[in-house]
Amino acid sequence: MFKKFDEKESISGVLQLKSSVQKGIRTKLIESYPYLENHIDNILPKKDALRIVKCHDHIEIIVNTAGDLLFFRHREGQWMPTLRLYHKYPFFLPMQQVDKGAIRFVLSGANIMCPGLTSPGAQMTTVPKDTIVAIMAEGKDHALAIGKTTLSTDDIAKVNKGIGVENCHYLNDGLWHMKPVK
Amino acid sequence: MSVLEKLQQGPREGVTYPLSLAYCGNCSMPIEYCEYYPEYDKCKQWLERNLPSEFEKVKIGDDGGSVEEEKKRQKRGGKGMIKTKKKEDGPKQVCVSRAPRGKKKSVTVVTGLSSFDIDLKVAAKFFGTRFACGSSVTGDDEIVIQGDVKDDLFDVIPEKWPEIDEDLIEDLGDQKR
Ligand SMILES: [Zn+2]
Repeated sequence: MFKKFDEKESISGVLQLKSSVQKGIRTKLIESYPYLENHIDNILPKKDALRIVKCHDHIEIIVNTAGDLLFFRHREGQWMPTLRLYHKYPFFLPMQQVDKGAIRFVLSGANIMCPGLTSPGAQMTTVPKDTIVAIMAEGKDHALAIGKTTLSTDDIAKVNKGIGVENCHYLNDGLWHMKPVK
Repeated sequence: MSVLEKLQQGPREGVTYPLSLAYCGNCSMPIEYCEYYPEYDKCKQWLERNLPSEFEKVKIGDDGGSVEEEKKRQKRGGKGMIKTKKKEDGPKQVCVSRAPRGKKKSVTVVTGLSSFDIDLKVAAKFFGTRFACGSSVTGDDEIVIQGDVKDDLFDVIPEKWPEIDEDLIEDLGDQKR
């Protein structure tokens, strides 16, 4: 999603959010990520004026007053956390672990192939299709990508071929390098 | 910690959030991923200087393990190349010039600040406050200050951003609009 993203060229505008819209986003986030409930006041303080950065290719990013990039989405899809945010609260997404050999591919933006999730060294936690997940890696402690399952984890194990998780955002992509939006 | 414990959702007991994670000053990734960066040597140099304790850990982890990984790699298709971040080429330099505005007034045009990674909006705001005049970002790397303040900039810019030496500011003189 952000492989070719460039903050200079890809941003089309910044919108101030109405408080009603802001409330809606908050509710949706807690609904999607119940573990965030106790932390949402820190992430999206009620008094903070949130803004949405509109980008090309139907991408939207939520930023707070300080300009930190918090969540992003594609078209009207589910809000996904940026890696920088997830590293601060590394527990609210289901996590899938790829084996060591897959790391460099994930870091170059490739989608996560089923065998990278089923081989020794990999580990899945059961989730349905279309779930937002954090990609972890064998022997590493921190998430290296945020993705969306294209198959249920049961099917990933069964089919064991092709793409299992779509790589939406990874370390070193355009979103990772995007500066705070002032 | 077992793998399943690591992948377990939910906050960890006795941990206060938000966590603050150290990122590498060279590749910007969490330090444990530096080894995958094409310029790993530069990461190590940065670590040695800035986070010596992490550097020691990395040094130990460097031995062994690579042969096995190499084998795994060859089984997969594609290159798996990690791109290094784009280097801003071109010299770092700030240019200032004066342009007429109407019959009597002039504006000052400042370009090149972003080659020093300076946030242009913040800079424009600063100029406006400092010179008590209008100041706005007018282009990709251009700020226009309402008023003739060109000569002052040679003192004000290095004072505000010490990384910009007075010698790095080029005077382009008067420009036609
Ligand atoms: Zn590094």
